[in-house]
Amino acid sequence: MSNLAVLPIIIPLISAIILVFFNSKTNISRILTRAFSLIGLGVTGYIAWYVIENGSIILETGDWIAPYGIILVVDALSAILVLTTNIVAVACAFYAPHAGLGEKEKFYFYPFFFFLITGVSGAFITGDLFNLFVFFEVLLMASYALIVLGGDKIQFRESLKYLLINLFSSMLFVTAVAFLYGVVGTINMAQIAQRVAEVDQQGILTTIAMLLFFVFATKAALFPLYYWLPNSYVVPNPVVSALFGALLTKVGIYSIIRVFSLIFVHDIHLTHEFFIWIAGLSMIFGVVGALSTNNIKLIVAYNIIPAIGYIIMGIGIFNQEALSGSIYYLMQDMIVKAALFLLVGVIAYVAGTSDLRKMSGLIHHYPVLGWVLFAFAFVLAGIPPFSGFIGKLLLLEGAFADGEIVISIIALLTSLLILYSIIKIFIRGFWGDENAMKNLEKKSTKGLIAPIVFLLVTVVILGVGAEYFYPITDAIAAYLLDPQIYIDSVLKE
Amino acid sequence: MIYAVFAPLIFALFIPWISKFKNKVHTGIFVFLVPLVIFLYFVQFIGSDFSPIRETIQWIPSLGMNFDFYLDGLSLLFVLLISGIGALVVLYSIYYLSKSEKLGHFYVYLLMFMAAMLGVVLSDNVFVLYAFWELTSISSFLLIGYWNFKERSRYGALKSMMITVFGGLSLLGGFVLLTVITGTTSIQEMISQVDVILSSNYLPLIMAFILLGAFTKSAQFPFHIWLPDAMEAPTPVSAYLHSATMVKAGIFLVARFSPIFSTYEWFFITVSIVGIITLCWGSYMAVRQTDLKGILAFSTISQLGMIMAMLGFGTEAAVFAAIFHILNHATFKGSLFMIAGIIDHETGTRDIRKLGGLFTLMPISATLALFGTFSMAGVPFPFLNGFYSKELFFDSTLGLEGASWLAQAIPYLAVLGSIFTFVYSMYLFFGVFTGPKHLDQLPKKPHEAPIGMLISPIILVLGVILIGLFGDKLNQSFLLHAAQAVNSGVEYHEIYFWHGFITPFIMSLIVVGVGIILFLTMKKWTGVYNILPGRFSFNRVYDRIIEKLDSYSKGITNVYMTGSLKHYMAIILGTTIVVTFTYMYISNGFSISFDNLAEVTFIEVAVIVIIIIGAIATLFINNNIGAILVTGIVGYGVAIMFVLYRAPDLALTQLVVETISIALFLLCFYHLPKLRKREESTSSKLLNLFISGGFGLLIIMIGIAAHSTNLFDSISQYFVENSYKLGGGDNIVNVILVDMRGLDTLFEITVLGIAALAVFGLIKMKKKKEAE
Amino acid sequence: MEFLVIILSGVLFATAIYNLLQKQLLRIIIGTVLLSHGAHLMILTMGKLKRGQPPVLTEGVTQYTDPLPQALILTSIVISFGITSLILVLAYRTTQENKTDNMEQLRGNSNE
Repeated sequence: MSNLAVLPIIIPLISAIILVFFNSKTNISRILTRAFSLIGLGVTGYIAWYVIENGSIILETGDWIAPYGIILVVDALSAILVLTTNIVAVACAFYAPHAGLGEKEKFYFYPFFFFLITGVSGAFITGDLFNLFVFFEVLLMASYALIVLGGDKIQFRESLKYLLINLFSSMLFVTAVAFLYGVVGTINMAQIAQRVAEVDQQGILTTIAMLLFFVFATKAALFPLYYWLPNSYVVPNPVVSALFGALLTKVGIYSIIRVFSLIFVHDIHLTHEFFIWIAGLSMIFGVVGALSTNNIKLIVAYNIIPAIGYIIMGIGIFNQEALSGSIYYLMQDMIVKAALFLLVGVIAYVAGTSDLRKMSGLIHHYPVLGWVLFAFAFVLAGIPPFSGFIGKLLLLEGAFADGEIVISIIALLTSLLILYSIIKIFIRGFWGDENAMKNLEKKSTKGLIAPIVFLLVTVVILGVGAEYFYPITDAIAAYLLDPQIYIDSVLKE
Repeated sequence: MIYAVFAPLIFALFIPWISKFKNKVHTGIFVFLVPLVIFLYFVQFIGSDFSPIRETIQWIPSLGMNFDFYLDGLSLLFVLLISGIGALVVLYSIYYLSKSEKLGHFYVYLLMFMAAMLGVVLSDNVFVLYAFWELTSISSFLLIGYWNFKERSRYGALKSMMITVFGGLSLLGGFVLLTVITGTTSIQEMISQVDVILSSNYLPLIMAFILLGAFTKSAQFPFHIWLPDAMEAPTPVSAYLHSATMVKAGIFLVARFSPIFSTYEWFFITVSIVGIITLCWGSYMAVRQTDLKGILAFSTISQLGMIMAMLGFGTEAAVFAAIFHILNHATFKGSLFMIAGIIDHETGTRDIRKLGGLFTLMPISATLALFGTFSMAGVPFPFLNGFYSKELFFDSTLGLEGASWLAQAIPYLAVLGSIFTFVYSMYLFFGVFTGPKHLDQLPKKPHEAPIGMLISPIILVLGVILIGLFGDKLNQSFLLHAAQAVNSGVEYHEIYFWHGFITPFIMSLIVVGVGIILFLTMKKWTGVYNILPGRFSFNRVYDRIIEKLDSYSKGITNVYMTGSLKHYMAIILGTTIVVTFTYMYISNGFSISFDNLAEVTFIEVAVIVIIIIGAIATLFINNNIGAILVTGIVGYGVAIMFVLYRAPDLALTQLVVETISIALFLLCFYHLPKLRKREESTSSKLLNLFISGGFGLLIIMIGIAAHSTNLFDSISQYFVENSYKLGGGDNIVNVILVDMRGLDTLFEITVLGIAALAVFGLIKMKKKKEAE
Repeated sequence: MEFLVIILSGVLFATAIYNLLQKQLLRIIIGTVLLSHGAHLMILTMGKLKRGQPPVLTEGVTQYTDPLPQALILTSIVISFGITSLILVLAYRTTQENKTDNMEQLRGNSNE
C-alpha cells in the first residue's frame, strides 16, 4: 500500500504532461482537466481515509532505505492537506473554463495548473528537506508561469517582483539546508529531528532554525515579510489568485508547522514565543491592510495575512488545543480563501470594476452572489456554525490555557475587523438602490457560482460536522507534539 | 422544546416558496402561526409547580458543543416574551408592510431572529448560546438594512453589527475562559463551580468580557449609540427586536450569570453604575429627540439601564423588580412602538414637531398611547403595571450594601432618571395627541388606522392594565420562578398597589411633581442640551473610529506598501539580519574551531580573489559587455572551484550552464537598455551597504559556526559504500542523482520543463500581440 | 581553507544583495546569478572540502569527497538555470511593455 504515497504527486504530474499535448484543443483540455481533478480528489480522499484509519504511509522511493533515499511520508497532516488541495483544485478546474481566460487557456494554462498541484502536494508529502526545496521550486515555477499568463503591463510588473523575492528566499532555503547538513550531516527530516534532539538543539541549530523560519515565513506571508503578496495576488486571473491564495502561503505555513513541531522543538521559549509576537503583528497589519483599500480583490488578498497569523499563533502556543486549532484553521482557510478569490472574481466581472466605490445595489441583480458573499463574511470572521469558529475556538482555548491573554484579545478584535472588511463589500457593493449602477449590463454567471457554492458547502460541513473532523485534528496535534512517532515511523528503529 | 427553537428556521426555508403567492395571501398570515404555536406550547409550563426541564441533542460532544436546552423560570419568561410579542408583531406587520415589499426576505430574517433568540435564552451550553447570540446580531443587521436603498439604513445596520458583534466576540472570550477554568461548557455546571471561578486570577477578565457582551447588546452606556440608528428598521422590527427581545438578551445574560458573580463586589459596582448612568442618560436624551421612534429608542435605552442596574444590585427585592419590569416594559413599550408605527403610517411623518392634536382624529390610538406612556412614566394608578415595577425599583435602591459611596448616590440618581422618564412620556403623549394641529405639514391626511393594525397594540395595552390590576396572579406561578433562577433567595411577596406613604412612594411623588413642572417649562430649559452633551456625542466617537479606521489603515498601509521591490527586499533582509543575529547571540550559536580544515594552496586563493574581484566589479561596471565579462568570470571561477574541490560533474555542468547563460544574457542585454551609473543617494548607499554587508556577514558567521560544530558524521558514507553494490555505478554523484535521489532529478527536470513552457508562452504571446 | 570559501560565499551573497537593491533591472538579474553561486559554494563547503578523491569509485581509493552536496548542487544549478532563463525573458518583456527598466518606476499604484 505504501505506493499510494506517490499518487498525489504523480497524478497531477501525468495530468499536466498529457495536457501539454492537448494544449491547442481547448475543449478537450477542459474536459480532461475536470476529469483529472476529480480523479485526484477521489484518490486523495481515499488516501486520507486510509491514513486516518491505518496510520502513516511511508514510501522509500526507489527502495533506498531511510534515511538515505528520499522518503515520502503521508501522515494524517499531509493527507488532509493534500485532500484539501485537491478540493480546491476541483473547484478551480470547474471554474476556470468560465473565468474568461480566453486566449490564456492556450498558453498552457491547464498544464501549469496541474504542475502547481504537483508541487504543492509534493511539498506536503516529502520527508526530505532538500526534496522539499525541489517541490517548492516546482510550485513556484508553475506559479511564475501562471502569474505572467495574460501578459499585460501590470502583470509583468508584479510578477517580476514576486519572482525576485521568491528567488531570493529559495536561495536562502538551500543555504539553510546546507548549514543544517553541515551540522547534523543529513537532510532526511526524521533523522535531522533525531540528531537535533540528541544534541538538545545547540545554539547554532537555533540560529539555523530561525533562518529556515524566515525562508518559510516569506512564502507564508507573515509579518513583516508579506509585502510581495497583496499586489501580486491581485493581478492574475481569479482562478490563479484563488490557487495562490489557497495553496502557496499554506505550503509555507505547513513547512513551519512541520519543521517546528518535528525538528526544532527543544528551545520553545526562544523560538515559539517569538511566533506569538509575529502572529499578533500579522493579524493587526494584515487586517489593517484589508481595511485600507477599496479594491475588493485586494481586500481578500490582505485577508490572507491575518489568517496566517491565526495559524502561526497556534504553533507559537504549542499545546494540543492550539495546534489542533491551527490545523483546523489551516484546512478551512485553504478552502475559504480559494472561494473568496473566485467570488470577488465574479463580483468584479459582473460589476465591471473591482473598485468598491463604483459599485452599488448588486444584490437586486445577483442575489445568489450577494448571499454567498454574506455567508463568507461570517465564515471568515469565524462565526458559528461555520468552520472558522471551530479553529478559532480551539486556538482561544489553547491560548487561555497557557495564559496568553494579549494575543487572544488581538485575535478576537481582528475577527471583528475581518468581518468589517468583508461586510463592507456587501453593504456598499450589494446593498443600495436597484438602479444605482447605470451602465450595468446583465452578465451570465453560469458555471461560476457552482464551484463557489461547492466550497461553501465544504466549509459548512467542516463547521457543522466538526464532530467528525475535530478528533482527526486533535489526533494530529497530539501526534505533532510527540515527534518521536514520526521519527520512528520513518527510521523504523 | 428543541423543535420550538428550530421550527422558525425550518419554516423559514419554505418562505421563499410561500412568498410567491404574496399577491393572493399576505405571507405574514402563515408566519403568524409559528410564534403563536410556540407561545401556546410554552404557556402550559406556567404554574406554581414548575420545575426546570432539560433536553439535549448531541452536536459536537468532543468539543463540548451540544444543543443543551434548559428551561427554567428565567428562560420561560423570555421564551413567552419572544413568542408572544413575536406573534403580535407578525400580526401587526401584516397590515404594516404592503404586499409590494420584499415580504419573503422580511419574514425569513424575522424567523431567523426568532429561532436565534429562543436559542439564546434556552441554551445551557455557552458555545451554542454564543452561536445563537451572533445569529441575533446577524438577523438584526439584515432587518435594520431591510430598506437598504436608504443610506441611513445601511449606516444603522453596520453600526449595530459592529457594536454587537464586538460584544459577541468579547463574550466568546469570556466563555472560553470560563470553559478553560471550569472544564465544562454548561452554564448550570459553571454555577455549581462558582468557588473555582471566584478564586481564579482571571475573574476580572471574565467578568469584563461577559459584561462587555451584555452591555453592547443591551445598549448600555456608552454602547447605546447603535440603538437609535437601528430605528431605520421597519417599525414591527423596532418593536420586536429593538425593544422587547433582542436588546434584553444582554439583560438575560447578566441575569443568567448573576449566580456566579453576585458576590463579587466589582460586579455590583460595574453593573449598577453602568445601569444607573444608562438610565439617566437615556431618559435625559430622550427628551431632546424629535423623531417619535428616536424618543422610544432612548426611552428603551433608559429602561434597559434601569433593569440592568437592578440586576447589579442583586438583592432579592431588586432581582424580583427587574424580572417584573422586563415583562412590563415589553408590554407598554411594544404597544408604544406599534402606535408610533401607526402614526407614521397614517400621517407620513414621525417628526413630533409636525404632529399635534391627533386625539380627535385617531382616538383609539391615542387612548392606547395614553395607557402606554403613563405606565412608562410610572404614574401611580392601580391599572398601570409600570407604576408597580417602578416602585419596586425605588424600593430596591434603598439600603444597598457594599461600596457605600455608590449605595448612597443610587436612590438620587434613580429619582433623577425617573423624572426625565416622566417628562419624555408626557412629551410623547401630549406632543402628538394634543395641542395645535399642523395638518398642512403632514404628507398624508391622518385618520384612524385599520382595525387589524390596532389589534396587537390593544392586546398589549390590555396586558398593561391586567398586569396592573391582577399582577399578583402571575407572581407565584411565573415571576417568582424567573426571579429565583437569578437569585435563589427570592421569596414570595405579594404585589399590591397601596403600601402607604413609604419612601418609594414619596420618591414616586417627587418624580411626578418635578416631572410636571419640568414638562410644563420644557421650552425654557432645553437650552441645556447645547451644553450637555453639546457638540460631544458618542456617535461622533463611533463615526470617528470608523473613519479613522479607514484613513489610518490607508495611511499605515501606504507607508510600507510602496510597490518598490527595493523597499520590500530591504525590509525582508533587514528583519532577517536583525532577528537571526539576535538569536545567534541569545542562543550562543557562534563558535569557531580551526581543527579539521583542509590545507590552502596558492591557486585556490588566487581563484577566490579573482571571483571576489569579479563579484565586486559587478557593482561598478557601467557597460553591458563588461558586465557580461565580469559575470562570466565569476561563473567560470566557480567552475574552477568545483574542479579544485574534486567535483568534476559539477564543474562540467557549471561550464555548460554558464555558457548557455551567457548566451542568454547576450540576447537579453541586447534588448534591454544599457547599464547606467548607479544613481543612489549617500543615505541609500549606506543602507544598501549595511544590509548587504550585514547579510554577507550573517552568512559567513553561520557558515563558520556550522562548519565548526560538526556534530555527526554525514550519511554519505552509505552512498560511497553502496553506489556500486546497489546502484551499479562508479560515479557516486550520478548514482545519487538518478537513483537514490531520483525523485529530485525528476522534478528538477519538471522545473526546467515548466520554465521552458513559460518562456515559450511568453514569446508566443508577444508574437501574437505584435500580429494584432 | 573552508573558512576562505565560506567568506567567498558571504562576499558573493553581499554583492548579490547589493545588486538586488538596485533600480536597474539588469543589475538585479546579475544579483540573482551571484546569489546562486554563493549558495552553491556554501553547500559544497558544508560537505567538507578535499577530503579524498573525486567521488568516482576507483580501485584502491577508500577516501572520497562527500558526494551528497555535489548531487544537491547539481540539482540546484539546473533549477537556477531554469529560473534565470525565465527571469531574463520576463525582464525583457516587462521592459518592453512598461517602457522602463527602472524598478522604482515599476512600483505601481499599490493600493488602488
